[in-house]
Amino acid sequence: MNAAQKLPSREFREKILFLAPGLGYIGVLFVFPLLYSLYVSLTQWNLLRPDLGVRWVGVANFVSLLRDPFTWQTVARTAYFVFGSVALELVLGMILALALNREFPGVGVIRSIILIPFIIAPVVVGFTWRFLLNNDFGPLPHLFSALHLNFLVNPPLLSNASLVIPMLIVIDAWQYMPFVTLVLLAGLKALPSEPYEAALVDGASPVQQFFRITLPLLRPALLVAVIIRTMTALRVFDTVFVMTGGGPGSASEVLSFYGYRMAFQSYQMGMSAAIGLLTLLIALVLTLFLMRSGSQS
Amino acid sequence: MKSSWSSRAVLAALAVFLMAVLATPVLAAGKVTLVSEYGIHTEAWKTEMKSFQEKSGIQLQLTQIPYANYFDQLTLNFTGRLGNYDVPYISSLWYPAFAKAGYITPLNDLVKAINISDIPGIQNYYQNGKLYMVPYMNELGGILYRKDLFEDPKEKAAFKKKYGYELKPPETLKQYRDIAEFFNRPPNLYGVTLMGKRSIFLATHFMNRLWAYGGELLDNQMRPAFNSAVGVKALEEVKEMFKYANPAARNYDFQEALTEFTMGRSAMAELWTTGLLYADDQAKSKVAGKVSFVGFPRPEENLGKKLPMLYISWGFTLAGTAKDKRAAEEWIKYVTSKDAEVRAAVHGNIPARFSALTDPKLQKKFPWLEPFRKAMQNCIPTPMVPLIPEGSALVNQYLVPAVADYMAGVADAKSALDKAADGVTQLMKSGGYYK
Repeated sequence: MNAAQKLPSREFREKILFLAPGLGYIGVLFVFPLLYSLYVSLTQWNLLRPDLGVRWVGVANFVSLLRDPFTWQTVARTAYFVFGSVALELVLGMILALALNREFPGVGVIRSIILIPFIIAPVVVGFTWRFLLNNDFGPLPHLFSALHLNFLVNPPLLSNASLVIPMLIVIDAWQYMPFVTLVLLAGLKALPSEPYEAALVDGASPVQQFFRITLPLLRPALLVAVIIRTMTALRVFDTVFVMTGGGPGSASEVLSFYGYRMAFQSYQMGMSAAIGLLTLLIALVLTLFLMRSGSQS
Repeated sequence: MKSSWSSRAVLAALAVFLMAVLATPVLAAGKVTLVSEYGIHTEAWKTEMKSFQEKSGIQLQLTQIPYANYFDQLTLNFTGRLGNYDVPYISSLWYPAFAKAGYITPLNDLVKAINISDIPGIQNYYQNGKLYMVPYMNELGGILYRKDLFEDPKEKAAFKKKYGYELKPPETLKQYRDIAEFFNRPPNLYGVTLMGKRSIFLATHFMNRLWAYGGELLDNQMRPAFNSAVGVKALEEVKEMFKYANPAARNYDFQEALTEFTMGRSAMAELWTTGLLYADDQAKSKVAGKVSFVGFPRPEENLGKKLPMLYISWGFTLAGTAKDKRAAEEWIKYVTSKDAEVRAAVHGNIPARFSALTDPKLQKKFPWLEPFRKAMQNCIPTPMVPLIPEGSALVNQYLVPAVADYMAGVADAKSALDKAADGVTQLMKSGGYYK
């Protein structure tokens, strides 16, 4: 074997050269922070006690996290929120996408208008809904009272331990349903017309067409919407922070808020990093599950 | 002759130059960077910056950070050893952690230069015998109340008829409950405004009562003591008081509570003294000129005793990385002097010094300063979190969820407090206080 054979080929070097900026970007902004988080999660590090130093504790943070019943309650609350909001967004988003898939005067304007909640910053959404739900000044409690829905007014929705997560789900759906609609609408527009023509010849009803043709063909678009929304719902923070502070009690404390509390109220950086990695693990498992089930079907 | 005149002129010019140099303060070349939040008292002391710069020749620069991010930004700046700030203006709750970490340095030279005995609560700012912070704004947790309602003859008569004693600002917890019940006339007027959102504000309602009953957060062994019998009683009483508050108050934070009171929708508000600066502002409040303050009530058997009372303070510290420490201390000395405090107070500050609180002009502008001063004099000013690096975590991480869980009905008072106490024990163990 001569020296020339040992050297990478020119083609290989060129590939590496072209890939280098992208790899560097991923390395600096994704891989390094992830590895650093992993390192921090294996330490006991109190930001306010630099005199104690950063102590290596191995997997102790993960062990205490997984042994703490509060963690599992928080995971369950987060799951409730994620599944609730994604399901609601899918159902409403699909209805809206089907409605907007038809041509009628003003449809273009409506398609633009429905995007408005999606482009509002979540923190603004939180403050807006907090005001809308204010028992004294907000219009919604007055509407509920007028409709004799007093259980939505007293105790106030955001102070009601049983209804606070459903309320957050509704708000999340209000904000992100336009995104789901947009993805599904794009999917609907790309559907071929032949299966529908064949269905009409066979005398299939619109409901049969929806369940037998539209839904199966729309599966890739649905999968994209579900995966993206699941990931973003998992990291919900702003609206919870602004609207409830995780309360009443701990009724709306989700994983991201728990991590925030550990990092910026207790300054336990190791434990907070462990919570972050636990969230990442859940997100990975969910994504793999969804992608696998999507590809199998 | 001509040359002698020119020599004299040169000598005279030199003399004038030398005198000018000598007359200029030693710190003329100094430059100090201040950092603070955007807050009413910062706006007040900002008015003193110009005169200080003119008098001292020291250049001041101010960076302001929104309160929500202030602590985090400051901590990250310190931990990153960036040294961007010389004089952080901070909450008293933060200084122990910064002092322990060496981010701020003792103000040894200032202790002799300022009359510290004039500043209530100053003992809170010593660590290992060294002063780390000079308070600029002092306030107490207590009751803001509507003078117009309390002094209304019809209300007074009706109250006496119903409860058998005179209507006056509450001194005992029973009076406080009675008055809240009396004025609770929803939906237009509520007995009391409280802050029920899961936050440190909610925990203050618990701490107010815990201290009034003679309880404490930590005992002298630094072990949790708030889950005692008086702790349970205090927590149960918080829930009781919410009966006389707007149902919406269960999710109120400080700002919403203040808004309710300034809109004239409650007879009392369990807030702290800064609220009066807003409530007394014609431009912002419907009850301006009709409000006053009373220190937090206590059980009848504890009347006259000097008990802890919720104490909130902001003040000036010196960063360990300050480049010109002497110039920085000059600023702190200047701005915390009695005269500077009096001048700035009208712009929205409650002075830290007793001598400033008793200033006649200031008392005329803010009549509630006198009851506030009395309350301050007759209590042990006690910060809302223990002044140890773990203090903030103790309250935010354990106490707040405990109070919130009890208020939400997911735990009874005793088990909620016991659970918090277990967490605090672990926290203190990990901090090395005991094994």
